[in-house]
Parts: sequence; C-alpha cells; structure tokens
Amino acid sequence: MDPRLAKTLKIIAVTLFLLWTVIPIIFLVASSFKATGDIFDLPPVGDWVGMLKLLFFFKASFTQFRNMFIEGPFFTYLGNSLLATGLSVLISVPLGLLAAYALSRGRIPGKKHFYFWVISTRMAPPVAVMVPLYVLWRSFHILQTLPGLVLAYTTFNLPFSIWLLRGFMDSIPKELEEAAYVDGRGRFRAFTDIVFPLIAPGVGATVILCSLMAWNDYLFALILGGRAAKTIPVGISELESATSILWGQIMAGGTVLIIPMIILGLVIKKFLVTGLTMGAMRG
Amino acid sequence: MAKVTIKNLYKRYGKVEAVKGINLECEDKEFLCLLGPSGCGKSSTLRMIAGLEDITSGEITIDGVRVNNIHPSKRDIAMVFETYALYPHKTVFKNMSYPLRIRKLSKSEILTRVQRAAEILEITDLMDRYPRELSGGQKQRVAIGRAIVRNPKVFLMDEPISHLDAKLRAHMRGELKHLQKELSQTFIYVTHDQLEAMSMADRIAVMNHGLLQQYDSPHNIFNQPANQFVAGFVGDPPMNFIECILTVEDGWKLKHDEFELSLEDKVQQKVQAQTPQFSGALNVTLGIRPESITIKREKTKPNEIAGQVYITEPLGSDLIVDVTVGQERLKIKTTSSFEGDRGAKVFLEMVPDKIHLFDAQTSKSLM
Repeated sequence: MDPRLAKTLKIIAVTLFLLWTVIPIIFLVASSFKATGDIFDLPPVGDWVGMLKLLFFFKASFTQFRNMFIEGPFFTYLGNSLLATGLSVLISVPLGLLAAYALSRGRIPGKKHFYFWVISTRMAPPVAVMVPLYVLWRSFHILQTLPGLVLAYTTFNLPFSIWLLRGFMDSIPKELEEAAYVDGRGRFRAFTDIVFPLIAPGVGATVILCSLMAWNDYLFALILGGRAAKTIPVGISELESATSILWGQIMAGGTVLIIPMIILGLVIKKFLVTGLTMGAMRG
Repeated sequence: MAKVTIKNLYKRYGKVEAVKGINLECEDKEFLCLLGPSGCGKSSTLRMIAGLEDITSGEITIDGVRVNNIHPSKRDIAMVFETYALYPHKTVFKNMSYPLRIRKLSKSEILTRVQRAAEILEITDLMDRYPRELSGGQKQRVAIGRAIVRNPKVFLMDEPISHLDAKLRAHMRGELKHLQKELSQTFIYVTHDQLEAMSMADRIAVMNHGLLQQYDSPHNIFNQPANQFVAGFVGDPPMNFIECILTVEDGWKLKHDEFELSLEDKVQQKVQAQTPQFSGALNVTLGIRPESITIKREKTKPNEIAGQVYITEPLGSDLIVDVTVGQERLKIKTTSSFEGDRGAKVFLEMVPDKIHLFDAQTSKSLM
C-alpha cells in the first residue's frame, strides 16, 4: 500500500477512535457543569455547530456539585471511596511486593502450587464469592464498615498485585542482587537499592490497576459496605429512584469519579518508563 | 594474606551432584584458574567461595577464617560476573563507587579511588554514562572497575571476558594478567577457555563432572597431564589419541593395526615407575600433540607412520593437516610451507619424548 495512503488511513482510524472515546467524557464533564434544565437542551437534527456550542460554550453552573456535596451526602461517599481505595492499595501493594520477592527469589517448597493458588483466587468472578464473603464478614462483625470494605478490596487486590509484581521481579536478573551482596549489601538493602528502583515502573502500574479496581467497584461496596461505607458508585446509583433520575447529579458524580484516576495516571506516568533494565547485562 | 582453602567441597542441586569433593589451596597473591567444560562445577565452586551458593558439605576458608556461613557481603571479596551485572539505573561512576559508599568512605576518597581505577582501565570518559550506553568491552571494564576500587581479600571472576570478540579477548587476557600483578592480589578466575587459563594463571585447577582432574602449573598441565581428559582439554588443536597395545615381549613397543612404535628408554622408565607390576601386554591410549608430529612427503626413518592427507586448514603462518592413518584421524601442526593436497601420501614422525600414554581403562596417565 502507498505509505501516504496508509498514514492517512491510520490518522482517520485514530481520530475516529479518539472521538468515540473522548466525546462521552466531554459530554459527561460538560453536562455536570450545566443547570438541570440545560442538560436536555438539544440542537435541531443536523446542526453540528449547535452541537459543538452546547458541548463547549454554555453557562457554567455548579448547581449539581452543590446539590451533591454541600446539600447531599457525597462528601462522605467521596471520603469513603478515597479511604477504601487508598488503604486497600497501601496494604496490597507493599504486601504484594514482599510476597512477589519471596516467590521470585526464595527457595520455597511447593512455591509453584502456592503461586497457582494465589492466581486461582482471581479466576472466579467476584459475584461468585459474594455470599460466602457476606457470611464471613457478618460473623467477623465487619459488615457495613469501612475496614470491612478495605479488607474486601484487599482480598481481591493482593493476589493481583502478587501476580503482577512477581512478573516484574522475575525480569530483574538475580546477578544484580548478587553483585550488591558482593559489594557489601545485605538482602534488604540490596532490595531497596537495586531491585526496587528497577521495578518502580511495575509498582506504579500495580498501584494504578489496584486503585482502579477498588475505585470503580460497585458490587463489594453495595453488598459489604452497605450504608455505613457507601462509596461514590453506590451513591450515584441511588440518584436513580422510582420517581426521578437526577441526570445532572449523575453526570457530576461521574466527573468526580474519573478525575482522581486521571490525576493518578498522570502522576505515575513518569514512573511507567520501561526499558530501565535494558543494557544492564551483557549484549 | 588472603589464602583461600577449599576442603572436601560438595554441592548438590537436588539429586544432581555438581561438585564432588574438591580440595584446593590458592596461595596469597596467586592467580588461580578454574578450568573445565560447561557443567563441570567450576562456576558452582566459585559461587560457593563468594557465598552466593550454599555449601552442601565441606569447608571454605578465606584468610584462615571459615566462611561457610558468612554472607557474601561480609566475606570481603569482589566479583566480576559473566553477565557483568552492572546496575542499570546507576551511571558508571555510581556503579563503581557503590561498594565504597556502602563502606561510608569520604567523598574525596571515593573520587580518588574511582578515578584511579578508571585510569587503570581507561574508562575516565565514560563516568556519566549509563550501562545501556556502553559497548560489551566497556561494560566489562566497568565491572572490573567496580571490583578493583576496593581492596578486597580475593577477586573472583566468572568468565568475565568470554562474551567479548576474539580480538578484544586477546587484549583483555594481557590486561587482566597485568592488573593482577599490579594489584598483587589473589585472583580466582573461572573459564572454559583453556587459552585464557594457560596464558594468565599461576596455577590451573582442571575440573570435569564435578571432580578436580589436576591442579598444577600451566606448564605441567600441558606437558604432564594427569589423565586423558586434561590432555585433550588443554591445547589447541587438541591432542591426538590412538588406541594401541603396549607390549614388552621383544622390547617396549606400541602396536597398532597400521604401525608399530618402539618406545624410548625414558618413556619406558616412566611407565615402569607408574606400573611396576606390568609385564605382558596392556591396552593403552597413545597421546601426541599436533605440534609434536613431523609431517613429511618421503619416508626417511623406519619409525615413521604412513598416512593420507584428509584436509588442510591454513592458519596464516601455521598449517593444520588432518591425516588419516587407517581408521584414525590425526591433526598435525606444521608450517605453511608444507605442500600436500587432499589424498597425498605422507609420513608422520612422532617426537619420541613428547609421547603420552594413558591407561585405556582408567584414562590415567602412565607416565
């Protein structure tokens, strides 16, 4: 194929994909800053300029946010979401790091079976374990509590974090640590000086993925979190009742839901530089 | 004083026995080479000296101190790895200064030592580069630099130049030997390349199948190999081996289907010293190095063996001639002036005092 034509087709494909992805987000964000009446203000069919105007040029209003966060209970939900996600990541990633190191480097009998067991806990869909978890959480008296929700997210995030970090850990040549031992470092300092900086991109990726899992969760928060540990997704679902659907607030809630993840992605992006280990060894 | 002693050392990986009862003594300031083919246990031995592998049984002492249960970081050793193992996220300077910073040396001392090592290795202009920006040879120098900035008791090197190209390897052999003399330190060097061992070591420990075959000076390893394995492993092209029968009925003779060879008195005495009860006949393997055979186009002496040129391999000033003698194929090293095409009839004369005899059953030297 003519390279220029190929390039043009590629640009068209990427543009279409970008529009497909970005327009709903723009629509969501734009709608969350509109007064309730303006959300359904639609231009005549075929009036694309009018459509663009509605998306980008409108009278901004914070009514939806005020209704949710000042008059409504969404500040509490936001706090719950941040705490549940943050704590579960703070527990799962460091523990996952230690477990992954042990599984990658340790001479542990039955290591393979243990590793498979860890992964297998993620093979079943979360809903399959919901009833047993509910029973367990109730008998431990952690049902409808924030620590209970944190623990629930950790049960799902920890195996994932172990699995992901072990992959990164295995890619770091053992000789690098051995070189650090010979240079005079013990196991822990060899890990912090040499291994950790090299798998930092992997740790960053794990933090993002574990955060996403907990932040976007609806099922655990609804069933195990209940009223006492209500998170934003559960809160948003309640904006739809038998008598009304509060579209403006749903849009504002959606906006609040995606912003932290975008910020997290941008912050960690610079750590996600791969190829750090390239050229360390011979060749 | 940094003498390394290995006593009855064993290493097992599950059911596999990698090292089987090695005994070695490496003197202070000695350059010891552990030589052998892949899987002979030489790297396992070195890694046990470093403390990177657990010792199954036996004992290792460095400087008179038993180090079996001492962590590598406390053994005061420096090691150069086959893969160089440079820290990819640190610059050359930081790689080289890392062991010094661990020891909390002052900044000025660190700078002086790294600078001195860099000057020795001619890498002063690479200090700000990262390992990924270096060539193989440069990485190898940095790896050595990281080892020599310190003043450890022992330097351990695990095939450090095996991945360089032939020209650089030849250069580095000389450099490493020079470095060892200059630093005046104990070096234990692992290699599978007999040329490296022969050219650099004060003593060579030849290993095979986890067993120490011979531990001696390069001269003795080459000229008085303890067994057929050592004889065949050291030397390039390798020694020729021919199955023969040694008889004493009508004088000491080696009998082969294609030839008969009378042995000199000196050879007789040596064999007799090794096997005093020997009379009659014995199955032996005759060993002769390619450079200890003279090749001629005409027969001039009765002891000469007839053969046919199979192929010639010119090596510039030298020429390797492959000659067929009956079912045997021998390599002969001669000068490039030799003329003989494929199939040409030739006569071979073995230098009498360069003959080696090995027991055909045990492979041990009879001399």
